[in-house]
Amino acid sequence: MNLSGLAWRNIWRRKRRTGITAISIGFGVFLAVTSSGIGDYSYTNMINASAQMGWGHISIEAPGYYQSPALDKHINQVGAIQQMLQNTPGVESNYVRIMGQGMFASAHKSVGGAFLAIDPNTETGAHNLFLRSLEEGKLFAANSSGVVVGRGMAQKLKLRLGKKLVYTTTDKKGEIVSEIARVTGIFTTGVKEVDSAFVLLPINAVRHTIGYKSDEASLVAVMIEDQRYTTKVLASVRERLDSESGQNNLLTQNREILSWRETQSEIAGLISLDRSSNYISQILIGLLISAGILNTLLMSVLERTREFGVMMAVGMAPHSLFFLVIIESTWLAFLGLAVGILITIPWYFYLNRIGIDMSGAMGDDYTAGGVLIDPVLRLYLYPETIVAILSVVFLLTLLSGLYPAWRAGRIPPVESLKAM
Amino acid sequence: MAPAEKKVIISIQQVSKSYQQGKVKVNAVNDLSLDIEEGEFTALCGPSGSGKTTLLNMIGGLDLPTEGVIKLELQELAQLSRMALSHLRRDRIGFVFQAYNLIPVMTAYENAEFVLALQGMPKAQRRERVMSILKQVGLQGLESRRPDEMSGGQQQRVAIARAIVTHPAVVLADEPTANVDSENAEALLDLMEELNQREGITFIFSTHDPRVMKRARRLVYLRDGQLDPAA
Repeated sequence: MNLSGLAWRNIWRRKRRTGITAISIGFGVFLAVTSSGIGDYSYTNMINASAQMGWGHISIEAPGYYQSPALDKHINQVGAIQQMLQNTPGVESNYVRIMGQGMFASAHKSVGGAFLAIDPNTETGAHNLFLRSLEEGKLFAANSSGVVVGRGMAQKLKLRLGKKLVYTTTDKKGEIVSEIARVTGIFTTGVKEVDSAFVLLPINAVRHTIGYKSDEASLVAVMIEDQRYTTKVLASVRERLDSESGQNNLLTQNREILSWRETQSEIAGLISLDRSSNYISQILIGLLISAGILNTLLMSVLERTREFGVMMAVGMAPHSLFFLVIIESTWLAFLGLAVGILITIPWYFYLNRIGIDMSGAMGDDYTAGGVLIDPVLRLYLYPETIVAILSVVFLLTLLSGLYPAWRAGRIPPVESLKAM
Repeated sequence: MAPAEKKVIISIQQVSKSYQQGKVKVNAVNDLSLDIEEGEFTALCGPSGSGKTTLLNMIGGLDLPTEGVIKLELQELAQLSRMALSHLRRDRIGFVFQAYNLIPVMTAYENAEFVLALQGMPKAQRRERVMSILKQVGLQGLESRRPDEMSGGQQQRVAIARAIVTHPAVVLADEPTANVDSENAEALLDLMEELNQREGITFIFSTHDPRVMKRARRLVYLRDGQLDPAA
């Protein structure tokens, strides 16, 4: 019989103990999947939602615009930039936008706020949270003077569809300018601060008002296929733009290429903090499970001390005994992972497809860091997270077996034989 | 014609073994010298605490002397590394213990096969050897039984099969009949005597069982860790 077969039989000597250990390993997998799955799902949701509120996952903009988003800072040749982005790996789509501050007034009242000027011919709800949240009316036409306002602002200014709104801002040179727009739609994102202070305007009308040429804008917002690869795609975008700039004098301009971590630093900080506390709780769970496995294997080694003595007496080398116990912990790890997968799969699919509605516990505010979060608790795991969880649990089990294995190989045979 | 001279297989020269038991130093074996020749059927006799098991453990390389030299087939055991001692035990020594000490998760066949597997012998060859040995010790048909499905006598037969399956130079048996009834004890002694005579395997017993002493061809009496010349 080989060591592997012997180890398999050994772990079944105490069926109940092995069962309990496998269940505790499985429970560790379950907890790790739940906590990582909530993280993977909610972080991705928050990052994508914040990217869809204006800046994109990657933003190409004038230097300093992000720190102080004034309209005198702008980029040009946006058409050429867009063309270059089209074939950049990882880039899903890109949008030219003008973002600025302004005063918004109706016949009743005026309020301060911000506008996002977009091209209605290219923007869709898939990558624009405001369009997706359009509750009433429709988006304006490209060359119209329409405006889509947030529900909160519409209530403050007593606006309805078809009513006039005057917006006042500064132009390219810093002079105050005003324009009239007619309300074509009202959106509700659920983020109170956004709904009460944000409007969408047609980019052509805004360019005309603030004196931008047709190839000038505040930024090009880049949406990428998978937010996890932001850094990699950002590097490709930078490389591409830099190489094109060398060949094409038109693109020799100052610009910054920023990721969502910089433009949405509040979200990045929030995710980073949450991820850290998640890691700490997972480490604690791991330690608890390891202690259980260590206890099982140590007990199993101690109660077989005499048997190990006999094995050494008949010629088994100490290192073979070490490997025997390591193989036992490997089997235990496989068994635990199998139990973990079995108990976690139904739970994962339930939370992935249906989820648990937490709106009762969250109250009215479904936002974090100024971004709407899903009040339904859901799980989603990236393949690499699944591999990481299974590998870590497997390694922890193996590591827990190291001391008992070392101990098994170290007791002198004559001492082992004296053990009861 | 002069009888063929037998070679010394085990040489024990001025061996002492002491160990601490709490604060007390115990001299388990004290300046003992003894030679064992090839093919002997020898019993180490003496009361409990006389040093029989300690001496047997040292001969088997399970324990090392505090002083003196033990040689097995001219190899000084104290000079061997842990690995070399393991290999020596695996290839040249067979052990039979008082409490059988079979591996409970293995069948009779697997227990007997275990040492051959450690030697790396091919499976087919192992099978042939183990089946033949189990037949010799009278366990044909019981190959697939686990220790808890066998009587004490049958378990001790498996232990003997495990001890002789590698054709060792010497079998060290520590009180082999202590846990079996008279009928089984006689049968086991018959078996070991037959293996000694037929295969030429050297047997050394530690015992105070008169049945073993009666069968042994040489009796070595120990008292207080020394040879007892008065016995």
